[in-house]
Amino acid sequence: MLKINNLKAGIEDNQILKGINLEIKAGEVHAIMGPNGSGKSTLASVIAGKEEYEVEGGEIDFEGVDLLDLTPEERAHKGVFLSFQYPIEIPGISVSNFIKTSINERRKIAGLESMPAKNLLKMLKEKMELLSIDKGYLSRNMNEGFSGGEKKRNEIFQMAMLEPKLSILDETDSGLDIDALRIVANGVNKLRTKDNATVVITHYQRLLDYIIPDFVHVLYKGRIVKSGGKELALELEEKGYDWITKEADKQWV
Amino acid sequence: MGLINNIKSYSETISLSTEKKGLLNSFLENGFPTIKDEDWKYTSLKRIISEDFSIEKNGNDIDSSEISKHSLSFKNQLIFVDGELISSPQINGVTISGYTDFESRNNDAIMNLNASLCNNGFSISVAKNTVVEQVIEILFFTTTENNFSQYRNQIIVGENSEIKFVEKIQNLNNSTSFVNYFTQINCDKNTNVEFNKIQNNTSNSILIDNVDVYQKDNSTCDVNTLIFGGNFTRNNLNFEQNGNNCESNMNGVSVLDDNQFADNHTFVDHKSAHCRSNEMYKGVYLGKSKGVFNGKIMVRPDAQKIDAFQSNNNLLLSEDSTIDSKPQLEIYADDVKCSHGCTIGQLDDEALFYMRSRGIGVEEAKAILTYAFASEAIDNISVSEVRLVAQKLLADKLNVDLDFSL
Repeated sequence: MLKINNLKAGIEDNQILKGINLEIKAGEVHAIMGPNGSGKSTLASVIAGKEEYEVEGGEIDFEGVDLLDLTPEERAHKGVFLSFQYPIEIPGISVSNFIKTSINERRKIAGLESMPAKNLLKMLKEKMELLSIDKGYLSRNMNEGFSGGEKKRNEIFQMAMLEPKLSILDETDSGLDIDALRIVANGVNKLRTKDNATVVITHYQRLLDYIIPDFVHVLYKGRIVKSGGKELALELEEKGYDWITKEADKQWV
Repeated sequence: MGLINNIKSYSETISLSTEKKGLLNSFLENGFPTIKDEDWKYTSLKRIISEDFSIEKNGNDIDSSEISKHSLSFKNQLIFVDGELISSPQINGVTISGYTDFESRNNDAIMNLNASLCNNGFSISVAKNTVVEQVIEILFFTTTENNFSQYRNQIIVGENSEIKFVEKIQNLNNSTSFVNYFTQINCDKNTNVEFNKIQNNTSNSILIDNVDVYQKDNSTCDVNTLIFGGNFTRNNLNFEQNGNNCESNMNGVSVLDDNQFADNHTFVDHKSAHCRSNEMYKGVYLGKSKGVFNGKIMVRPDAQKIDAFQSNNNLLLSEDSTIDSKPQLEIYADDVKCSHGCTIGQLDDEALFYMRSRGIGVEEAKAILTYAFASEAIDNISVSEVRLVAQKLLADKLNVDLDFSL
């Protein structure tokens, strides 16, 4: 589904990603871990198309198309979804109106009519149940005055509504208490199918107790320095990052 | 000059009281204000008054479909056609009549002109202890071509009473129209008054709208001004607090494009203690449009413990649009809270990216963010139907496709 090949990107003159290679197949869950400042969020932003990052080389092949040639909205239309580490507050637009606009913009591009209100409401209700969200939430302004946990839940709610093929969850666990974490993880798990894939970016092993990854990658100084199965995350929890980063520092001095 | 000459020759055809003659002469001596006047520094009337407006009315009859097209369909409607009151509601405790002469304390050139020539408008008097639940819709229609008209209205709200209004001035022909409009609102003790102005007139309409509000103890008065249409709009909104614990709220939205011009001039005169004033004005400027905001807050020596807040936030969305924003604070009391803020900016890139990453195209995303920015000043309208109309007008003007039924 996704094949990242030697991706180099940065901001102004500062190269952050120094040659990322990653392949993700449909049905898989990949976890990307790594110490602060290793480039995890940059990778997520570059895949989603944030314009302030400059791509210096490489490609991001998504189902045969290079995402780097597409605008952020075109990437979303192809089925890429980024759950933001810091979701943006948009006063004046209700959650329901925002989601409706997102869905219908995509349908318009696909040559479809707007989703009938009845279907939309039914779908909203279903997904709200999935994430234990109460009804009053739909008429609240987008992320305005939301707690950290509510914002993250709202991200996953949008993901549930937009049904993306590739979801990138950037530090979705930060700001969540354990109950909210369980609800969100449960939602993500229920949304998994054999046709979609999930990338979980996280600092901590904690989230991976609930969303079990097929692969774990360690990102350090803009490179994936180690990949393994889910047991790698446990090992990191136990031993920290030092044993990997020391080795990596030797290799790329 | 065109208009001054027309006013002069018109005044010779009518008989005026000595007092009104005096006011007119005082106007004719000085003429319309120019950009040399501090209060008109950013707002030039030169082009407007060089035009050949007629003062006489010779309007046409209009049929009810025209009225319903522009109406907000409230039950209580006060309708004027070319100054003539054609419909007025029956409400318990409320006395409504056509034009009644009254004096105003405001005597600048434009007010003098209004006071001397005007013989149209309404007078509304609300008895003590009257709560009017349903909003009163006020509609002014102009059918006369190239007309310069004056309206003079008075609202007197008795103690412990509550009333709400929504008002529209609508030109029904394709020619220019120039309206000099004045409303004086007297709020007695413990009153609650809300006045909503929808300024969405045709693209060649000119409006000078003056509102003077006088408040007594424990009264609250809100004036919400929504500018979407018109060619030239100048709002003079003056509050005078003559009692303790008054609250004056002003919200305004201007969304302008092409060559539209709008100027919001506010003045809050804090004369008494323990009062509050809140101003939130939002401007969105596209095309070659131009906006002005001038907010003056005067805190007199007796106005201790007052809290005055003013904000004017603007989005300049085109190369050729401009805004002049000027807060003016004069504070003569020492135990007060006064704050003001003014911003001029563009749309937030982070928010744009957030929306685009959800599949919303860049143009639509910009429009929605602009909508979100401006709508904050609409949220304070208490009448939900009026709020909805305002939201729809805003969405239309910005080409945003939002569904308000959800």
